[in-house]
Amino acid sequence: MATAVPVLLGLLALIDAAFAGFRAATGRNARIHKRPYYLLAARRGLAGGAIGLVLVALPVAVALSGSADPGTRYDELVRAGMRMLQVLVPFAALVVASLLTYWLLPMRESTFVILVGLGPFTLLRPVVALGAAVWAVAGSTDWLPWAVATAATASVLAVEPVVHRCWYRAPV
Amino acid sequence: MAVLEISDLVVEWDARTGERVPVRRADVVARLHAAGDRRAARIVQRMPVAGEFLDPVAMDELLVRVHTELQRLNEELHMAQRFAELLVPLLTAIRASRSRLRVVDIGCGLGFMVRSLAASGVLGADVELVGVDFNRALIAEATRLAEDERLPCTFLHANAFALTEDATVYLSSGVLHHFAADELPEFFRAQDRAGTLAFIHYDISATRLAPLGAWLFHRARMREPLGRHDGVASALRAHDDTVLLSAVEAAAGMDAFLFEPSIHANPFCAAMRPVVGLRPALVDNFRHALGRRARGLVAG
Repeated sequence: MATAVPVLLGLLALIDAAFAGFRAATGRNARIHKRPYYLLAARRGLAGGAIGLVLVALPVAVALSGSADPGTRYDELVRAGMRMLQVLVPFAALVVASLLTYWLLPMRESTFVILVGLGPFTLLRPVVALGAAVWAVAGSTDWLPWAVATAATASVLAVEPVVHRCWYRAPV
Repeated sequence: MAVLEISDLVVEWDARTGERVPVRRADVVARLHAAGDRRAARIVQRMPVAGEFLDPVAMDELLVRVHTELQRLNEELHMAQRFAELLVPLLTAIRASRSRLRVVDIGCGLGFMVRSLAASGVLGADVELVGVDFNRALIAEATRLAEDERLPCTFLHANAFALTEDATVYLSSGVLHHFAADELPEFFRAQDRAGTLAFIHYDISATRLAPLGAWLFHRARMREPLGRHDGVASALRAHDDTVLLSAVEAAAGMDAFLFEPSIHANPFCAAMRPVVGLRPALVDNFRHALGRRARGLVAG
């Protein structure tokens, strides 16, 4: 768990960042063939997510190395991470299921998936991320899990607006 | 109270000459206030002006941005495939008696439908694809986009009620709700002309869920406040099946149908549905070419 939890959280953050990059670029290119355009946007999101991860992980490493009892504090972080996953994994599973359904179903039914799944999920994503952060640190009295959960959530939520502002403010 | 769309009010064109008419911002704001839409009035109040008139360059850029965002919704709703689903069998039925086929999209905006059909080549190389719109800025952008991707289609300025472009088949998508119910007969009558064999006009299905679905869809996908506002207004203004079928009767030389109207389809999947007009001689061949899907073609 000590390794699996941070790895899984990091993977989720990176995948989310790639999708955030894609979303940042949507509605800004009216061409018909946009595959390279969206791949570039996803890579930009991924890079933004990776930078965010480093910006969260470095202070954590510094705080732990300067701690009198790093083992206990790391365990506290892992417990918080597990609680975060309790919220994020079901949501991610729903999103993945919706995406697969959208790609695999005939066109009318996939439209239905947009209306009941992918559209509302886009709106819910910030709420879910904030909810996961709150649930992660609920009951913890250590400031480190609070700081990490807040910084990680802010980093995840910042990817889309930052990529959008940097590269996709106007139609191309 | 009338539901108004901001995009219908912020640019104006002389119907006779096609030239642009200056739009006074205060007039638009007053109209929206009179319609009880304070949110729309606030959106317009923030728009840039040149003197007392809305800045035409800024309005063109805004509408291009909104239509670019709107294209994403059309892509997600598979609108090009929906048109192809009907156009391929329709053109198959027509080809037996025609050598020249011309498909004209009325109110094409950025020409997504025409460009998408041109890019896929699904209709065949013998089909000329043309988009027309009353807004010259959108036509210019559609032309730029088509040239950029070297797509075999053209875009022209035209009035939907005084069509100068001949067509074998007329199309539109999301245009009908922009017209009042009493304007629709004239719209359809204009397409009942020599040489035209059919029309297919897709618009939002006027179900109870449509405004909620439109709110969700536009809120999740569009950034421009104008786009979010007009998306819901469109659903509120959508004409129901009875109004459409009654209006199509003005095209006296056509047989009128709805394709998969909401009462025959899962209402969640029937976000968009078309009204179809066909020359009577074409109906049997079209049904035959449609195959199993012909069950969805419901006569008025």
